[in-house]
Amino acid sequence: MSARSPRGSLSGVSTEIAEDFSDSLKDLQGNNKFEIGNLTLIAKENTEHAQAISKVLEDHIRTTAPPRKLPALYVLDSIVKNVGTPYTVYLGRNLYQTFMDAYTLVDGNTRRNMEGMLKTWKEPVPGILDNTPVFPPDIVRPIENALIKFRTVMVQNNRGVQAQQPTYRNTPTPPQHNGRYAAPPSQGQGQPYYGQVRSFSEQGESPDRWADQSHQPSAYQQRTFSPAPQYQQPLGFPAQNQQPVNDLETIKRDVAAVAAQRQAQFAANPYDAKTRQELDALLQLQRLLDTQVLDAGALQQVQNQISALAVAPPPPQPTPQPAPAQHQWQPPPSIPQLPPQFSAPPVAYSQPPSAPPQQPSAHFLDPAALSGLQALLANGQKPSTPQMRAAAPALQNASHSQLSNVQTQTSTQPTINGADLIASLTKNGLLPPLPTSNTTPLPTTTTAPPPTQQQSTADILASLTKSNLFGPAPTPPGVPTPANTARPRVPMTAASLKTFRPELLHALYTSQPNQCSTCGRRFPASEVGRAAKARHLDWHFRTNQRMADSSIARGAHRHWFGNELEWIKLVEFDPSTTSAEDAAAAEARHGASGAGGGAGGKGGKKEMRAEERYVRAPPGVTRNVCSIDFEEMKSTYSEELQDWVFTNAVVMGGKIVHASCAEEMLKGSQKGAMASALQGGLGGQQRQRSATPDSALGKRKAEGALAGAGASRARME
Amino acid sequence: MALPGLSLPGLGLQSSHIASGSNVPNAAAQQTARQEDLAPRTEWRFEVNFQQQYTIRILSGNAELFGVELASNQPYNFSGIKGAIFTWQGCRLEISGEAESEYLGQETDYAVEWLNVHGMLETARDDAQSTPNGDGGPRVLVVGPDYVGKSSLIRSLTAWAVQSGWTPTIVNGDPREGLLAPPGSMSAVTVGSWLSVEDGYGISPISGPTVSPVKAPLVYHCPYTSPTEKPEIYKSLLTRTALSVTNKLEENALAKHSGLIIDTPGALNDPRSNYATVAHIVSEFSISLILTLGSERLSNDLIRRFSGTTAGADAIPVLRITKPAGAAEKDAQFMKQLQNQQIRQYFFGSSKDPLNPHSHTIAFADLNIWRANSRSLTQAMNSSATMDDSDDDYAPTSSMGSSQDFERVTPSQEMLGRLVAIKFCAGSETDEVAIRDSAVMGFAYVSEVDEGKKRVRFLSPHPQRWGDRAMVWGGWPEAVVDLVG
Ligand SMILES: [Zn+2]
Ligand SMILES: [Zn+2]
Repeated sequence: MSARSPRGSLSGVSTEIAEDFSDSLKDLQGNNKFEIGNLTLIAKENTEHAQAISKVLEDHIRTTAPPRKLPALYVLDSIVKNVGTPYTVYLGRNLYQTFMDAYTLVDGNTRRNMEGMLKTWKEPVPGILDNTPVFPPDIVRPIENALIKFRTVMVQNNRGVQAQQPTYRNTPTPPQHNGRYAAPPSQGQGQPYYGQVRSFSEQGESPDRWADQSHQPSAYQQRTFSPAPQYQQPLGFPAQNQQPVNDLETIKRDVAAVAAQRQAQFAANPYDAKTRQELDALLQLQRLLDTQVLDAGALQQVQNQISALAVAPPPPQPTPQPAPAQHQWQPPPSIPQLPPQFSAPPVAYSQPPSAPPQQPSAHFLDPAALSGLQALLANGQKPSTPQMRAAAPALQNASHSQLSNVQTQTSTQPTINGADLIASLTKNGLLPPLPTSNTTPLPTTTTAPPPTQQQSTADILASLTKSNLFGPAPTPPGVPTPANTARPRVPMTAASLKTFRPELLHALYTSQPNQCSTCGRRFPASEVGRAAKARHLDWHFRTNQRMADSSIARGAHRHWFGNELEWIKLVEFDPSTTSAEDAAAAEARHGASGAGGGAGGKGGKKEMRAEERYVRAPPGVTRNVCSIDFEEMKSTYSEELQDWVFTNAVVMGGKIVHASCAEEMLKGSQKGAMASALQGGLGGQQRQRSATPDSALGKRKAEGALAGAGASRARME
Repeated sequence: MALPGLSLPGLGLQSSHIASGSNVPNAAAQQTARQEDLAPRTEWRFEVNFQQQYTIRILSGNAELFGVELASNQPYNFSGIKGAIFTWQGCRLEISGEAESEYLGQETDYAVEWLNVHGMLETARDDAQSTPNGDGGPRVLVVGPDYVGKSSLIRSLTAWAVQSGWTPTIVNGDPREGLLAPPGSMSAVTVGSWLSVEDGYGISPISGPTVSPVKAPLVYHCPYTSPTEKPEIYKSLLTRTALSVTNKLEENALAKHSGLIIDTPGALNDPRSNYATVAHIVSEFSISLILTLGSERLSNDLIRRFSGTTAGADAIPVLRITKPAGAAEKDAQFMKQLQNQQIRQYFFGSSKDPLNPHSHTIAFADLNIWRANSRSLTQAMNSSATMDDSDDDYAPTSSMGSSQDFERVTPSQEMLGRLVAIKFCAGSETDEVAIRDSAVMGFAYVSEVDEGKKRVRFLSPHPQRWGDRAMVWGGWPEAVVDLVG
């Protein structure tokens, strides 16, 4: 249990070393070979504290601002290549998460650098006779697969956006995400990092050598801190992005672009409830924009909110920086940074103001600003008062001493969580006191997601709706059913055969403009269509991933056909767009008799035994450690679901755990202790609203397609 | 368990076959990719034999093959196909590889008719959905001589229906060509997911992942080349299929509203029987629309019979649909290769979805094997008995010494290379009707009959044995000597 808390497991010495290492890491601002070499040396000389150092490094990569992620990753790269074990073991454990979390938050050039680095991890360390790769394939491959999917989703969504914009249709090189097709920045050499690693290891550990060969800072600046146009183009923003935008089409594009990003993030990290929630809200917002007429003020407001959500480099830093080249970098206007993910230490919630801070922050301090501020403070160096004011316009009128206090109180902590920051802001009179938990009204609906420190798009949408900018959001329809609207009626007569009816084509083509580029299948432009397409792409990805796994393909065999009863009871559905839950519901609807055929007789409504529960394995995740008994879980292939699943599993607090463990925990006498231990390790969000484990289990329902309640369709075995 | 030392006839040829490169298309031809611009409502027709590889990519615009839209910029590879890429809006294609013929077709009025048929079916489906307790969606019978585009029409109608969100049920009544099953089958499938450009209906359920979603058929055994061999058995299989399909549609509202489409062999175009089998299908499946292709006489006869004044209240529309100008006759050799490919893929899968068959050796005593007697079986037996007898006229069944339709037999060399249907009914079953009507669990290939040691070696798609089940074989499909080649 303590091993799962951020700092608990480190011994005293380890803590010291780790803190040293951490401090040096925080000083690392760019691709400085000397500093990277130094950090590598520290790591090499302290292999007995490898676990603590690895943890600090991972935390740093996760929490540091996007432009600093790549240098930090280079530290990781240098350590695993030049020191090797045990760092490869410790860093390998969370490499997928470490890499993907960073990848989703950095710009296109940085992504390419990361891809180059990833490639070298499959190869043996240069200059060493041993032929084993830097990281074993089973660590690298899931990342590669996730990247393939990430790109697919990006390109797909970009196409979807373009499909609605005829002006882009005939452009030979349409704007792409990630800057993939954007003109490379004017740097002379795209020299990959591993080139230096090679020479470093050949030369022994001479840091001077690193310094000799280091990139010119300006080259790094140009490459990583790419100027605004490069980042805007990937987002699909047109060139006029420099001006304030309130043109509807632009806003729609921006919303689509941000939605696409969230989709990709969601794809890379499907258990991140916040991303999912934001994605849902964005899709809703898209539909609202399609169906409602908004005035300029409202549009501007939407634009501001969307800009706040766009993933981008950190907020402006107008003051001169220690690094000489730093001032060359000009951040894109009006796109503040998405803050790094953080998990709040449980201790934050034992303090008196334990209520979720969403109400005050929504009204007083813009949530994006809060996040920006947080990221600024998390950067390690103390931001100036103007910086803090720029990051949070609500602090425009705050005095220098107020800000200075906040900054001092928070920047001493290794990671800054929203609650601490809010507490500090409150303490210094910059925020009104928070209501206590007794007076905080509970969310009205039980299905509402747990409150988060950062206000989600759903909240934004809700507040927009509340302020009468939009009408109430229409209820999204459930499983898509054939639309019988506006289809021409064609009588069954010979006379109707000869007339060409383009309306019939409209239903097949035009009304479903979003085409899958893999199989050609089309989807409507509606929210439901987009969601279906996202699921469909995910299906392609998972399928390809499984098919690439030769061990699965090699053993495949054809099933027996089903008998008459099985076939009659079988409910056909498209596994690429229909969730297991929908299918179960459909079966419950249609196969109400419950007679069932073969193995699929169990009804959807019946409470399933723990062993029958499963969770679809997120892409690339083949193993998982149960947070309750810390035993390893391995994914298996479910023929029924045509997918990889963890059996005997449920999702609890965003983590996959044994269903039996969860059940045991709920029944057990030490219910309270176990539950709080679990929740402490899982992050405090659940705790805030309800400490009962039931709410965590209840989440399973909301997990929808991911946590299958059992698509107990008749099995053709 | 996977094929240890299996001496499948021809199996040893596999590697040398591939190494010889006889299947590898001319490299030069493959490299010369050419472009074709297609005007709206034209099509690119091509005939590719089983040794050729032909690749088509859409560079711009939209196009479909048998109603299934191609994705932009994806290369689609074809082999052993006669088809046409049709475009409603115009498109630019990139073509590479070899074909026996390829040309631009501009006479495409058929496509407008087919789309209108789709519109008719959509109207009927919409109506069915708005009358929940009604008769359900359209139930369509497609008849016509061989090679007039019946299957292409049905595949297009299916693809369009699925793209519109329906789950139509397709029944294949032509035992020469399987649908999600090897030849010798009569199968039905409710299509709940998209069709594939290259593989049509795709693949029946397997134990691993598949490129496109699997589709689960219900399969009956029809070991005859034509309904005319055993018209009464054929009709009883249709009755049985109709029973299952009707039940299924009653179970599932969406399937019911989506309706069904029945594909038939050209042999149903049989005026001498007064279209007895057509009438049987119309009544068993409560057909609500008949589409005829390729024969004016057939159309007139059926209009008179089912749509005219004599039909009275039971009259159903009979529409004559234009056959596609590109519909090409498939010669005996092409059909033979197609059938062999279907059998091969049943066990080994395709290059995209490869499968592992399994070998099972079973003692005579543990087998319950029935033989479906028929004219084609007799002919096969006679021709193998007297190899130099080139006279392939009709031969009486007396040499088989039986007039029974189904006969319990001891395994013999005659079974070698044959497909044997594993039925769901028990091996102890004695009722001929049960043997006839029982659905098929799978097919096994007879790879060796050891009459000395009294055991049979089977190639089976599944690692599990099938237990005590009746097995049936007959004159169709023909023995496959080289299952892998
Ligand atoms: Zn697709
Ligand atoms: Zn467990």
